[in-house]
Amino acid sequence: MSSVKFENVFKSYGDVQVITDLSFEVKDGDFVSFLGPSGCGKTTSLRMVSGLENNTKGKIYIDQDIVSHPDGGVFVPPEKRMLGMVFQSYAVWPHMNVFENVAYPLKVTGVSRAEQKERTMEILKTVEMDGYEKRMPNALSGGQQQRVALARGLVARPRVLLLDEPLSNLDAKLREKMRHDIREIQQKVGITCIYVTHDQIEAFTMSDKIIIMKDGVIVQEGKPSEIRENPASEFVKDFIS
Amino acid sequence: MSFRTIQEKLTSPAVLIGLSLGGLFVICLYPFLVLGYKITFPAPTGEFSLKYISSIFESKSVLTAFKNTAIVSLLTGIISVAIALPLSWLFTRTDLKGSSRWRSLFCLPYAIPPYLGAIAWIYLANPSNGLINEFLGTSFFNIYTMTGLIWVMSTFFFTFVLLSVLASLDRMDPSLEEAARLSGASPVHVFFDITLPIVRPSIFSGFLLVVLAAAASFGVPALIGNPANIYLLTTRIYTFQKAGSIAGLYKGGALSIVLLVLAIVILVINKKLLSKGHYETVAGKTARPSVLPLKAMMYPVIGFLLFLWGVLFVLPISGILITALSKVQGVFTLDNFGFQNFHRIFFDIEETPRAFMNSLKLAFGAATICTFLGLLLAYIQSKTRIKGRGAIDLLASLPYSTPGTVLALALILSFSSNFLGLPISLYNTLTLIGIAYMAKYLNFAVRTAGDGLGQIDDVLAEAARVSGASWWTTLKTIWFPLMKPALFASWFLVFMPAFSELTMTILLSGPGLETLGTLIFQMQEYSDVSGGGAAVLSIIVIVFVAGINTLIKVLSKGKYGL
Repeated sequence: MSSVKFENVFKSYGDVQVITDLSFEVKDGDFVSFLGPSGCGKTTSLRMVSGLENNTKGKIYIDQDIVSHPDGGVFVPPEKRMLGMVFQSYAVWPHMNVFENVAYPLKVTGVSRAEQKERTMEILKTVEMDGYEKRMPNALSGGQQQRVALARGLVARPRVLLLDEPLSNLDAKLREKMRHDIREIQQKVGITCIYVTHDQIEAFTMSDKIIIMKDGVIVQEGKPSEIRENPASEFVKDFIS
Repeated sequence: MSFRTIQEKLTSPAVLIGLSLGGLFVICLYPFLVLGYKITFPAPTGEFSLKYISSIFESKSVLTAFKNTAIVSLLTGIISVAIALPLSWLFTRTDLKGSSRWRSLFCLPYAIPPYLGAIAWIYLANPSNGLINEFLGTSFFNIYTMTGLIWVMSTFFFTFVLLSVLASLDRMDPSLEEAARLSGASPVHVFFDITLPIVRPSIFSGFLLVVLAAAASFGVPALIGNPANIYLLTTRIYTFQKAGSIAGLYKGGALSIVLLVLAIVILVINKKLLSKGHYETVAGKTARPSVLPLKAMMYPVIGFLLFLWGVLFVLPISGILITALSKVQGVFTLDNFGFQNFHRIFFDIEETPRAFMNSLKLAFGAATICTFLGLLLAYIQSKTRIKGRGAIDLLASLPYSTPGTVLALALILSFSSNFLGLPISLYNTLTLIGIAYMAKYLNFAVRTAGDGLGQIDDVLAEAARVSGASWWTTLKTIWFPLMKPALFASWFLVFMPAFSELTMTILLSGPGLETLGTLIFQMQEYSDVSGGGAAVLSIIVIVFVAGINTLIKVLSKGKYGL
């Protein structure tokens, strides 16, 4: 079982309130998208799941564990949360080759060399990057770097995979293929995903559930079909059209 | 011809472009050609001969200078990295309180001429009456040693590594480190596995710049090394030149060529390194990298930083202040302090007003001409299609990268007796010192003007041309006003180092041509050793430099200055 739950989460920078009383749940095996215009708080929410940002109030659960609860003095640092993450800028380390990049999460958690090799090769095959192990990142295209980042996010069998606008730096054609591929890989691996995007096509074609945000609060959540048929407000109707 | 047509002729693009390219050639390339030619085709025969070059390798004192230079510059480089690397990590990757303030504080030595540091440390740690020794009642600290020389250089040049590494850490995409955290790596692991390898080229580049700066520096080795009989290449060239003979000048010239080649080799390696190691770092949208909370270590760390800054900065400044204010050196009673030295230096010593005026005139002239020339050159480089315009940057950076001692010698050889075959000599004139400043700092002006031009859309000027404005009118009414902040910055960036320059001036000046730099040097070396005169003038320079730096920072809204 891998799930994520926010209970009355707040986040502010000084006097600026960016997330207000946010509660939601992501169920095991679901692909959930956070959709909204820039500045709506979707990336901040994702980063609070990862532990790269602290919430200022409320509880965040991964599975049954509380990973952050400021009032209770609980904060699990990102490296202890057993998550995978794919960044908008790919964040493929330029000084390591493809194999080293992908194997890194196994290496730092003390997996044996033989197993590192086996699991890295396996996941590279899954993302169709086998044969590129020795390549340096600067010899890869944007789409290939994205696949490396995806493999790296999946290799340690994380509880949840977080994706922060992973396709926004790709060209239109590749974006369409990657949308399809990411969804396929997600279902093959059977992993829970939280996906942040401002692109409604991505959200509607990939997700089991969509959470639409505006100004730090959720304005609507539900299955893509529900939202399309029953937009809760003019804003949602406008945004998804 | 009416005045108007003359003015139009003079300000036509062809004339202005010709003049500025000519100026660039004469001050930035010609001296090096003459230096090379005169040493390899020496008078009186004018036949090709490498006898001056080979003779320096036979001289034992020169070989010792080589060895000393290598030791001093490499060790200074290593110590600089050792100081700067932990600092840059603290300033960018922890939640250190007031980290941007700390940054400015530790970058301060960058703006101060290192020879003032040498003077300060002589006051603090000379074996006979250094303040630290007097205070502790020992004679343990002796600045006149190899260690002392390396220490003083490191206290200034570590800023090169600091600035280089800070820039690289700031530029780095934070997701690179975040991805490692998410992969399960602790902050310490992230630093060694990800951060350090990615900034390694900039660390090494900073190291090389320190090595070059240390090998090229004159003031510090002259003030600290010479009394201890430790000579570096630059101070050797100085003694050769000051010997006054033609043979000495040629020997100095030959040694200069060797030093120049060394400098070029280092710069080429550096350039290779930066282009190879420069990782394309896409700026992620999260501007703040995840920082390590210092928690209980916060106050110990702040205490350590205060201590370090005290040693690097407050201590030397206090040394200078105490010396300047002491009526009699080495007496620490309250009634021994006063402004007598200031009065004496300002009103009783005839060189002071002259040196002050000379420095002001030279810096003002060099800054004004460089700003104008720099703007034209940057314009040619970025807005015209003239062939070979790409070489402008390279030519302008040549004298800047050249050790000052070498540049001064090249200028002496080029501009005394027959400049371009004409029977004029600029040797022993303020003009030649001014040319040296222009050559050395033109680079700043070209770069700053280039930055400024890059930010202005060509359409604005095209609109003016279409409206009927001539080339010159467009430059005057569109480019100049829009470029004002960049031009101010460019002017001050030249003015500031020129005002306190020592390395070149000491070789180019003679009686009556004192500048603040040479007067301080002369007072410290022999004319006012126990009077605190050098300390008084050092304070003037520091106050001036700090004031101008603040002005640049305010005028450019924080873009230039520290």
